[in-house]
Amino acid sequence: MRTLGEYFRLYIIIEAQYIKARMQYRADFIISSIGMFFSSLATLGVFWVILETVPDLAGWSLMEMVFIYAFYMIAISPMQILFDHAWQIRFHVQQGTFLKYYFRPLNMMFYYMSEMFDLKGLTQLVIGIALLIYSSIQLNLDWSLTRFFLLLMTVFSAALVQISIVVAASCAAFWVIDSYPVLGLAWKLREFSPYPMSIFDGAFRFAFTYVIPIGFVAFYPSQLFLRPEEVSSLVYFSPIVGLGLFAITYWIWTKGVNSYTGTGS
Amino acid sequence: MRSYLPVARATYMIGLVYRFGFLFAIVGNLVYLGVAYYLWKSIYRHSETLRGLTFNETFLYVGLGSAIFILLKTYADWIIHYEIREGAIAMYLTKPIDFQIYALFANLGSMIMNVTVLTIPTALIMTLIFKVKFAFGPGLFLFPISLLLAFLVSFSIDYFIGIMGFYTESVWGLSATKEIVVTVFSGALIPLQFFPEAIQKVLYWLPFQAIYHTPLMMMTKPDQGLNIFLPMILVQLAWAAILFVLARLFYNQAIKVLRIAGG
Amino acid sequence: MSLIHIKGLSKHFKILNRREGLGGAFRDLFSGSYRTVEAVADISFDIEAGEIVGYIGPNGAGKSTTIKMMTGILKPTGGVIQVNGLAPYENRIRQAQIMGVVFGQRTQLWWDLPVIESFKILKEIYKVDQTTFDKHMGLFNELVGLNALYSQQVRTLSLGQRMLCDIAASFLHNPQVVFLDEPTIGLDISVKAKIRSLIKTLNSERNTTIILTTHDLGDVEALCQRIIIIDKGRILYDGDIKRVNALFGAYRTLKLQIDNFTEATLQTLKDKLTECFGAGHGITVAETEEFWTDVTIDQARTPLSDVLSFVMKNFQVIDVRIVEISMENVVRKVYDGALG
Repeated sequence: MRTLGEYFRLYIIIEAQYIKARMQYRADFIISSIGMFFSSLATLGVFWVILETVPDLAGWSLMEMVFIYAFYMIAISPMQILFDHAWQIRFHVQQGTFLKYYFRPLNMMFYYMSEMFDLKGLTQLVIGIALLIYSSIQLNLDWSLTRFFLLLMTVFSAALVQISIVVAASCAAFWVIDSYPVLGLAWKLREFSPYPMSIFDGAFRFAFTYVIPIGFVAFYPSQLFLRPEEVSSLVYFSPIVGLGLFAITYWIWTKGVNSYTGTGS
Repeated sequence: MRSYLPVARATYMIGLVYRFGFLFAIVGNLVYLGVAYYLWKSIYRHSETLRGLTFNETFLYVGLGSAIFILLKTYADWIIHYEIREGAIAMYLTKPIDFQIYALFANLGSMIMNVTVLTIPTALIMTLIFKVKFAFGPGLFLFPISLLLAFLVSFSIDYFIGIMGFYTESVWGLSATKEIVVTVFSGALIPLQFFPEAIQKVLYWLPFQAIYHTPLMMMTKPDQGLNIFLPMILVQLAWAAILFVLARLFYNQAIKVLRIAGG
Repeated sequence: MSLIHIKGLSKHFKILNRREGLGGAFRDLFSGSYRTVEAVADISFDIEAGEIVGYIGPNGAGKSTTIKMMTGILKPTGGVIQVNGLAPYENRIRQAQIMGVVFGQRTQLWWDLPVIESFKILKEIYKVDQTTFDKHMGLFNELVGLNALYSQQVRTLSLGQRMLCDIAASFLHNPQVVFLDEPTIGLDISVKAKIRSLIKTLNSERNTTIILTTHDLGDVEALCQRIIIIDKGRILYDGDIKRVNALFGAYRTLKLQIDNFTEATLQTLKDKLTECFGAGHGITVAETEEFWTDVTIDQARTPLSDVLSFVMKNFQVIDVRIVEISMENVVRKVYDGALG
């Protein structure tokens, strides 16, 4: 069996080659990065427009919204960069090309996801980091070592939550042909992640905190840094939420992979 | 024209098979409506009217926007890209059909399916669950016409992008940029009235508002006079015509290049 | 102990009977009625190391299902299956190390990368040491001139070149068994010859067991010592190829498109053939899809040229094709007891 370290090393080898090969398509890379740049900022643009009209959004100022948004961008980058192949599952499943992933002495999810490395996701990451630094300065936040460690921990958990939701949704392709709307729903939920959870109450708040916890992708972790007095202790459990959700997603993937019998006989 | 009707019927029938997908699409829309509801309620916490719209009007605008979003989302850009790339375009060139019209009818079929399964239920949900109040006026009757014109505009833009994608060999980047630009500046996300004055002035010169803003305004404030609505419809018509022709010319150009280059 | 041991193997699939409409979809989520499909009913055989076995049968016979169970993709419903002493399904990753798989049309190499990079990655994945790697790459170059393709991206290769690379790649880590599925499909004669020679040499050099599924009887004739014929989930024949060879070699199928073809025409054709060539003519006539009539001729008894000129003279023939006997016809013949 392979250790985590061996898998990591293998990953680097595969992606180094992949990136080398993709770099040949320069025009595509540039245009995609530009497209990514604009998509990334669309929702932020909407917030900006709204906050030109009203003084605050559920009690949050524009700069605080920028911080939450920046956190969001960083948290969704790993999903974008490392798990982008999830979107193609339905095509591989339908055309029968998914079979080849069973035949290597490798974990199947690793093998499948390693086939794509989305470079344009790096644009998102860079924008996120830049905005985080900018808003931190504007908001006069102080960063101690503890807080920095907390940041890493919450980003890690948030990334896992995001990955889990989208990959789980993409697994619908193993069972139904018209699985795209499930992914569509997961994507919509992703777009709502930077919204302040305080605008919700009742069923919605419960759903977004405990059922499909997009609140943990950006809002709750950000609260930790922006308004620590208001934050619930739930946030300190984010790694458990992230890992737990990923475990569920992995279980769904395994079920899907086992139930897929391929086309033809 | 009549010979293209079977094409529309085919895509409509395909829609019938994908019931699971539609179930989820409706759920997705419901979630969107819920989130939009909370978001705008929170925004309207401060005052009854913002930029000339009440909460009810804004929510109607946004909710209806989501209902017609799937209608106006044509896949013309991907269809073109796929066909040109796969060389299937050669197949169409040898048949006595007009590709652009063909693509249009293909989209039409799925569009009608989407109306039945998505738009109407969404509208019902808005009235029954969210208690949105619809007003009356001439705008209501102009809405379907406006919607059709909006579809044509959207289709032509997508078609255009698809062909551009063929030249640059990259559809995703262009498509994503177009997607954002259209969504944000057409009123699909937020009513255009919320944008700063200066930006609004620019937007009214662009074709994007013809896709969402115009038809949505017909339903949001339907009691405005015809003297307001008719110019809007004419603008839509103008854009639809211009873009359709431009897309066609661009397409012919691209085909010429393809024929010379071969493959 | 045999390398591959299969006894009483069966595989059943439960298929949901889908209900109509949107309401039906909703109800399907909660309760459904299923029907059972028996893809593989009761299969037993043993394969030793070094054998080249042809595993053939018509479409839908259960071939792919058996292969999928051997490669650990599908869990059997009943029976025993062991590859190298282990049950494949429960040991997927471990088994993958001793197996090679090639699918006719779909490559297992990395599409956008140069050929050599795919091999290097496989070296890492299978933990092949440098010596073995160099030795094998040298062997591949010697046999099919692989070096010439090293720097080309896999997607720029022709189908034949890609197949050669895929096959070579499947042997890189010195597997104990290699599964080849339609390795020569869509290729021209010279490339087919190259591929068959590659497979044969690798088998003898490395004593690798090869399981070959194919519709191309030329492959079978060139490579296999043993044939297993499967149909409707059961084994029809398992034995030496020589006996079945007699079945393939002499037979040719004449495919005809006859103008104004009706049910009656088929019977008339049969009657006239008997009339002309006598009772033991060894010719079978069947109507296949889309206006084609298959006239299968046992050349040992009646020469093809005679039948052809006879048919042309007595019927309005629009189009003619001459093909080797098809898989379906072979199976039909075995059913009819041609192998005794």
